[in-house]
Amino acid sequence: MKKRELAALIDVSFTLNRGERIAIVGESGAGKSILGFSIVNLISKPGYIESGSIKLENKELTTMNLRQLQEVRGKRIAMIFQDPMMTLNPVLTIGNQLVETIRSHTNISYKDARNIAIEKLHNVQIASPEKRFDQYPHELSGGMRQRVIIASVLLLNPDIIIADEPTTALDVTIQAEILQLLLTICQDNGVALVLISHDLGVVSKVAERTLVMYAGHIVEEGPTLEIINDPQHPYTQGLLNALPQMTIPGQRLNQIQGSMPSLAERPSGCAFHPRCPYATQKCKQEQPQFIYSGVSSVACFIIEDMLNEFTDTDKEAL
Amino acid sequence: MPTPLIQISGLEKAFSTNESWLGQWRLRQGKLARHKESVHALNGVNLTINQGETLCVVGETGCGKSTLARVIMGLTSPSAGEIHYLDQRIDQLNNRQRMFFRRRMQMVFQNPYASLNPRMTVYQTLSEPISFHNPQLSQSSVDEKIDELLESVGISASSSDRYPHEFSGGQRQRISLARALSVEPDFIVADEPLSALDVSVQAQVLNLMMDKQEEHNLSYLFITHDLAVVEHFATRVAVMYLGRICELSPTKTLFSSPKHPYTQALLSAIPRLDSNTAQPIRLIGEVPTPTEKPIGCVFQARCPYANQRCYESSPSMTLQSDGSSVACHAIEEGRL
Repeated sequence: MKKRELAALIDVSFTLNRGERIAIVGESGAGKSILGFSIVNLISKPGYIESGSIKLENKELTTMNLRQLQEVRGKRIAMIFQDPMMTLNPVLTIGNQLVETIRSHTNISYKDARNIAIEKLHNVQIASPEKRFDQYPHELSGGMRQRVIIASVLLLNPDIIIADEPTTALDVTIQAEILQLLLTICQDNGVALVLISHDLGVVSKVAERTLVMYAGHIVEEGPTLEIINDPQHPYTQGLLNALPQMTIPGQRLNQIQGSMPSLAERPSGCAFHPRCPYATQKCKQEQPQFIYSGVSSVACFIIEDMLNEFTDTDKEAL
Repeated sequence: MPTPLIQISGLEKAFSTNESWLGQWRLRQGKLARHKESVHALNGVNLTINQGETLCVVGETGCGKSTLARVIMGLTSPSAGEIHYLDQRIDQLNNRQRMFFRRRMQMVFQNPYASLNPRMTVYQTLSEPISFHNPQLSQSSVDEKIDELLESVGISASSSDRYPHEFSGGQRQRISLARALSVEPDFIVADEPLSALDVSVQAQVLNLMMDKQEEHNLSYLFITHDLAVVEHFATRVAVMYLGRICELSPTKTLFSSPKHPYTQALLSAIPRLDSNTAQPIRLIGEVPTPTEKPIGCVFQARCPYANQRCYESSPSMTLQSDGSSVACHAIEEGRL
């Protein structure tokens, strides 16, 4: 069989400011998790970062060796994964896992580490943290486990938390609590947050800025509330219009035709053109560049043309 | 007046947690005593599903909503209570007697990756129920029927010799729906059919389900935790908590004026797109596992309005002036 390489991310650029909360939104297969993993170079083989650069302050992360990366992972950039049961080690007590995390990064005694761990468990609103400290992950409920994960992430006071679908496995009432917790923790400690999610409702509660991804590209970027109120890119529009709350109960939902292309059969030009109701010949051939629409940055020829037309008539009027 | 299709009364289901006979013996005050432990998944559910309606059941993980679906379908047998289909009792049937009802009621499962046999082509998956329930049909009419079914759920008939792994999640869920529809049922139980799907694909499947309901006058029992879908799709909503139904209302009434404290908390927790919604009502603790049959109201441990009466006696469903039924002492007494 011929060896073939598939690109999961193409030409993705963004900056995250100190203390800022951003969200990466998209359907499965858009590449949002890969993007999150790439930041801390956690991509599993045979995947690799082919080109590009990721900078934390002035340090380049892509060229770091393992030892240097370990200094960054956990301490500067921490990650929360979707399934808390998979993240916690089932054969170690909660306390042991937390203490291990602290002691592998800093030189302090077990007793001090235990105190820090209990304090952090208390910070994430776990009742009777001393008791929980000696329990195993299976003794806790899903929401509790996700709280423990958040506590463990906070142990080393990171600057950035990357949360990959942190509430997908949880019930709505628990989800609301965990989101509130994440929000207050980020605000209180000045931690920047990268929230990866497919749920625009969740995103609107937490993130200040949103990146919308489709088939490995960022297609729209801008302030969350403005994107939700006035989506520019046809894909973002489709995504929002497909939500049940966007139609009168009992009416047909506005579905987007077709589904996300697989990595192997990415369409030419703008990857969204086969599903886009406005697609033109140009969309099939060329890749659109980012343009500021007044609401957000969008990569779409239609918006570009509309803006150009608008400015032309504007000029004439003047 | 809507005609009831399925009537459920006093339905209970307990799962034994120490199944083996030897494991049930405990030493108590120097004597061996037999002690059975069980989880009470359903504690007296009364529910009527009318013809042509969509009844949505909502609730958190562990409240017994999936158990309710499985008991209705006869996949597990109830510990107590009765289920009637039209005027026939269907909860104590053997497999042979149930065959007739299997044609009338079908189920769509949550995970389309697990509920389709990976070693059967789409054609085989669909032809099995059709030729089993209609032995008189000739091969060519079965083929014709399958092509028709596939086209009707938006999958081209030419892909009928493909295997499930060749389809996307949304397509697989549509095949599951085609399989359920293949025997022309009156009633479909859908257990979280959308939760494994993306937003845009969810809309496709939901639209398809609504189209089919109109075409075949289907009744749905739709189990979900996604309240946005419920608001859009349901005729009536049943809110479940710890194996009991605590509120049963027409959809509009439920969303405009939720009555039960649990329903209020549940609705306030939906992450809505508009930014200026009120803070979610925070419930203390999480859904407990009912190892003991609850005395009093099931919600008492987390309810902000609970008083002595709530701990002692269990509230019964009372009809309110706006057509909803609520099981809550606080509402009955006018405290809420």
